[in-house]
Amino acid sequence: MAEDRLLASPPPRRRFCPEDRIWVSVGLFASLALTLGLPLVLVMLWSVAERWAAPNLLPQSYTSATWLAVLQDEGVLGAALTSTLIAVLVTACTAVLAWPTAWAMAKFPLRHKRAIEIFVLAPVIVPGIVVAVGVGQVFLLMGIAYTVPGVVLVQMVGTLPLMIRLLVASFETLPDELIHAARSLGASPLRALWHVALPLCVPGLLAGCLLSFVGSFEEFDKTFLVGAPVVQTLPVMLYHYLDPYSLQFPLAAVVALILLLPVLLVFVLSGRIMRDDLMAAGMGKV
Amino acid sequence: MTQGTPRARWLVWLCAGPGLLFLGALFVGPLLWSLASSLGLDHGLAGFTLEYYAQIFTRPALRRGLVASIYYGVVPVCVTLVLAIGLALLLRQHFRGRAWFNGLYKLPMAVPGIIAALLVLTLAERGGFLDRLVAPFGLSLPHLVRDPWGVGVILASVWKQLPFMTLVITGAFAAIPQEVSSAARTLGANRWRTLLWIELPMALPGISAAVLLSFIGTMGSFAIPDLLGPPSPRPLAVHMFSEFGSGHLPLVYAIGMLLSVFSVAVLLAYYALSQRAARLLGGGTEGSSHG
Repeated sequence: MAEDRLLASPPPRRRFCPEDRIWVSVGLFASLALTLGLPLVLVMLWSVAERWAAPNLLPQSYTSATWLAVLQDEGVLGAALTSTLIAVLVTACTAVLAWPTAWAMAKFPLRHKRAIEIFVLAPVIVPGIVVAVGVGQVFLLMGIAYTVPGVVLVQMVGTLPLMIRLLVASFETLPDELIHAARSLGASPLRALWHVALPLCVPGLLAGCLLSFVGSFEEFDKTFLVGAPVVQTLPVMLYHYLDPYSLQFPLAAVVALILLLPVLLVFVLSGRIMRDDLMAAGMGKV
Repeated sequence: MTQGTPRARWLVWLCAGPGLLFLGALFVGPLLWSLASSLGLDHGLAGFTLEYYAQIFTRPALRRGLVASIYYGVVPVCVTLVLAIGLALLLRQHFRGRAWFNGLYKLPMAVPGIIAALLVLTLAERGGFLDRLVAPFGLSLPHLVRDPWGVGVILASVWKQLPFMTLVITGAFAAIPQEVSSAARTLGANRWRTLLWIELPMALPGISAAVLLSFIGTMGSFAIPDLLGPPSPRPLAVHMFSEFGSGHLPLVYAIGMLLSVFSVAVLLAYYALSQRAARLLGGGTEGSSHG
């Protein structure tokens, strides 16, 4: 684009005129502020609002009581701990299962590769609730419904396919030559695996773990069906606060912010280490 | 690698096995179980019945639920598609702060559906921020939450889907070899003609994939329509929760199977499209041929 601007000097082409792009960016950032910034600010205001009745655009008085009450409330803290524990377990188990599978799919000549790809995509496509009612009934028979392990297992049905797909997309771009070179220079298969192949996997694996953590931390449908009301995670708790008959905005806002904080943090981190196409793969594309 | 030798083959299956077995046990298994129970087969062959499927189409609440599911699937996706194509086209150009925008616009992908519902509630509910904003001018907003047309649901779904769709469509545009559009421009097509007749058709497989995946995503979503949608009609996913709660399992499974059939149809259509995409762009860029 820069060269284009240099080349197209005499006839003023509107497309590269600098003001144009200022307007584009003003428009884009304004809509971003309206659709993303404004609601988030409102939620933050709600979390510290004491009185905020109808005609006022800003809260009439502020208080930290809601935050303090929530932070001292064992229910919310417990839910936050449960959510974190489940997310860590889900991420660890998913990574352990997905890694070899993805490596095999990306690096070995598999027979029926297309069929396996479709098989791995299927759980992403079938709505979570359909998976959950089936799994929920099986878990009831097995006696692990309404337990943390049950929730971990049902969430993995959602995170495992995404992790596999993300890792396959990431591993496919790794150069085989490095491993061949290590082998031909005399490294044993184990050494080549440990010193060459594993370090090469790290970025893809890290990205997959971050997405998997977020996916589990905010998962609602399956957790709600298999775990609630015994296993209380933050999304399940938030859902109860948002019930139209007992809607409590300040409380809901605080829980939402507690839920959102790690999610956004992880997302910013993953955006830094992840390419767009990988992210699309992780979110269900490719 | 040691390709094709028997040793390599068991190594491959040793690697791929556990993950695939897990999905088999916790995805395919329960799905087959659901299928069997929805047909009344869980107590043996004698119990075979299509009654539960018939209920979906005969009970008025469920029939309207089916229509509502399709409505909540189709409308947000159409709105999102138009916005996403526009946004993807803008993102191809250079503008001030593009890198920042590129990072920020993806945030809603990380925001859970329930929080999206909360955001729409704070903004658009009667007596919410927007309502208060226009009140001094003597205006009042129509019902946007729990309204008969499900505007709140559509708003929240569009908000949540737009980044994903934009990401995929941007990728689809980027996969078109630069020479193709340059050739069209050289041969005298203007920018709009090139877009309409060259670039959009070539990006179509990627765009369709995004549309199909989003469609299935909203059709099966529970939290957003449950919190923002009108009490009636409620989409099938919401019915599934309430029927599950009251223990009408075979009916729940039947609804689930119906939603799955939609999904599988979408999945197959998607693969047909992606293979066409691979053929279409096969000669061009190597990376896109993975479809």
